[in-house]
Amino acid sequence: MKNARIWFKKDFECRYISHLDLNRTMLRALHKAKIPVWHTEGFNPHPFATFPLPLSLGFRGTNECMDVKLVDDDYSFEELITRMNACLPRGIQLFDVTEPIMKAGKIAYADFTALISGERVPSGKICRELEELLSREKIELEKKSKKGMKTVDIKPGIKRFEIKEMFDYARLDIILSAGSSDNVNPNLLMTALCDSAGTEYDVDITRNDLYNSDMELFR
Amino acid sequence: MVSKEVERLLLKVQKPGRYVGGELNEAIKDKRKVDVRFAFCFPDTYEVGMSHLGMKILYSLFNSREDIWCERVFAPWIDMEELMREKNIPLYALESGDPVSEFDFVGFTLQYELSYTNMLNMLKMSGIPLRSSDRKELKNIVVAGGPCACNPEPVADFVDIFFIGEGEEVDLQVIDLFKECKASGAGKDEFLRRAAQIEGVYVPSLYEVSYNDDGTVKAYTPTHGAPAVVHKRLMKKMDESYYPDNFVVPLVEIVHDRAVQEIFRGCIRGCRFCQAGFLYRPVREKSVETINSQCRALCENTGYDEVSLSSLSSSDYSQIVPLLEKLNTWSGDEKVSISLPSLRVDGFTDDIMNKIKTVRKSGLTFAPEAGSQRMRDVINKNVREDELLSTCTTAFEGGWTTVKLYFMIGLPTETMDDVAAIAALGQSVVDAYYHCEKRSKGKSVRVTVSASSFVPKPFTPFQWEPQDTIEQLHKKQEHIKESITTKKIQFNYHDADTSFLEAVFARGDRKLCRVLELACERGFHFDGWNDCFSLEKWLELFEKCELDPAFYANRRREFDEVLPWDHIDYGVSKQFFINECKKAYSNATTPHCRLKCSGCGAAKYGEGVCFEKRQDLV
Repeated sequence: MKNARIWFKKDFECRYISHLDLNRTMLRALHKAKIPVWHTEGFNPHPFATFPLPLSLGFRGTNECMDVKLVDDDYSFEELITRMNACLPRGIQLFDVTEPIMKAGKIAYADFTALISGERVPSGKICRELEELLSREKIELEKKSKKGMKTVDIKPGIKRFEIKEMFDYARLDIILSAGSSDNVNPNLLMTALCDSAGTEYDVDITRNDLYNSDMELFR
Repeated sequence: MVSKEVERLLLKVQKPGRYVGGELNEAIKDKRKVDVRFAFCFPDTYEVGMSHLGMKILYSLFNSREDIWCERVFAPWIDMEELMREKNIPLYALESGDPVSEFDFVGFTLQYELSYTNMLNMLKMSGIPLRSSDRKELKNIVVAGGPCACNPEPVADFVDIFFIGEGEEVDLQVIDLFKECKASGAGKDEFLRRAAQIEGVYVPSLYEVSYNDDGTVKAYTPTHGAPAVVHKRLMKKMDESYYPDNFVVPLVEIVHDRAVQEIFRGCIRGCRFCQAGFLYRPVREKSVETINSQCRALCENTGYDEVSLSSLSSSDYSQIVPLLEKLNTWSGDEKVSISLPSLRVDGFTDDIMNKIKTVRKSGLTFAPEAGSQRMRDVINKNVREDELLSTCTTAFEGGWTTVKLYFMIGLPTETMDDVAAIAALGQSVVDAYYHCEKRSKGKSVRVTVSASSFVPKPFTPFQWEPQDTIEQLHKKQEHIKESITTKKIQFNYHDADTSFLEAVFARGDRKLCRVLELACERGFHFDGWNDCFSLEKWLELFEKCELDPAFYANRRREFDEVLPWDHIDYGVSKQFFINECKKAYSNATTPHCRLKCSGCGAAKYGEGVCFEKRQDLV
């Protein structure tokens, strides 16, 4: 038995499918591609696959990963990639398979790129609004939780950020707390931005890399 | 491939994955290199439409031809529709993202009457004129098929061409004729007139209708050489008939998210309420070898780990046990499970149960349809109570603890005692569980009793029958509720209001087109969904059009009345339906096709069960 961390991108049409749909699509591809993955042994056996950090619906992902167990220790990673890609839609494509070094629980940060634009809104204006929002001492937001709405301050969850004024959009590169405990979803920030600007911006968010608490790449 | 404008809306709606295409196995072609573009429209949501087998067959068949590009279109859910309307975005096809108005053919499959408003709404969202007569050019040819096309009249003013019967051959013939007309510069009128000469094609604009003073139909008069009677098409040799080896595999979960393998068409039984049982006569089976190889290819190409064997009554497949044995030779190794929907009460045997054991034990569903034996004889269901109870016992011994039972209320000749018998039968099943020695220990039984309201349909022995009024149906629903005394039975019933509207359109005539047009103007859609349906609003429309819906739903027709679908022929004679109707009233049953031929007329096709050797003759 060999652990394998499968790296893929999620883009195009597949941006718009939920994590559950992604899971189903992946399991079906593993089955179709006849990858020798370990199956659960319960009442209803199915390929065992876990996702270290699920991606929100609507985001593009350039370095997404999924963990499986291969029952054949000698199974080649190259073959896995080729076979799987033939069984996946164009929006989900594998580019690497590695042996996992860190456990999923080590994920502490994720880095995102958000491209923000608005109809007939100069990108400079959006940049200034972003600047203002992110430089506040506290960024308090309403967040839906199991116990109803609650106010959270997401400022401590912002590791670093950079704003660039592009021709017709603003580009925000930002590293946020991620993982099971202090996850900050960039959608929250975008909602705050739109609320304070009083308009609906078009937002295109990509998740790039994941890191551990020492800001080493998650591998 | 969707446009930037559509992408802007996607994060604002529920389940955006249904509006983007991009699935595995979708057909992408170069539009400059095809001659005919066909928009295959399913007038319901993506999840419902993508589960429909007929669409999968025709989509693959059309796209197997290099000169045709067939794309899929579904009705956007209300949140998406609202945004599209707000931003002036026309309805588009999933594969190319191109507006439906750019397509040569706009084809609809009509599976249920309550989707008529969605069909019109989809035309409206495409910017295509609703009425056939307002579309003058040889483009956007609106075609329709499916079971509801058997009475095309309520939508006759909107559709250019109806396909009567099975579409695999006739659709392609019409597409070829279109190509020819386009190349020769012929206009739409000429195209339609020539199309009407193809067997299985009904062009409603070529028929004049006259009415009697009482509102009934006087006559249908064909014009421009159109045939007086349109005969259905059917695939004679199922083994040679086209079947896809691949399905588009949805990215989002759909209603039936599995591979589907058709095993036969038609049904031997002849239940008198069941339209499908007559429309698809005669029964034509695929061979075990064909099913096995098609099934395997489908699973390999889609990656599905579940395949369902589809037909109107799976246990009636003559080789069911050998088939399951054959499938079991590979399904276990490939980790594919086989499911058998549409099992009859008398078809669930130990042998079958053991062979589909790999299936998840969700629950078993049987349809006794009526509570009393007399009532089951009237509808020719030919299932006895002891058969149901022994089947349930088999299931309980096999570890099942939940059973769903489907019934209908409002059947012809039904009394309140017949209605109460539904509750009693549910109770007998509960009792059977506790009498069963080998039941799952320590578990309680759950019996779900569902009662839908009977809707009389064309091309059935009950096509002349009045539907119970909504008040009568409500009384019967209440009566069942009061007759149930145990909490082990859960009672569900279907909304009588929607059944009433369904009955109006099922046996409607051309006068109803005006009602539908008005409904579309007022933004009616998704009438099959409780979220949108309002009978009150519909009644307003009928009043405005000076039409009485009860005339269609609750009126008894005489056998000699001209019915709006009398110029359509599905191979079963009217005299047979009359005989069956009379037998129903004398509580007499008719044996199924394998026991004895009852001379319905379908033998004229020269194929299928009509020519099988019967057991008693061997």
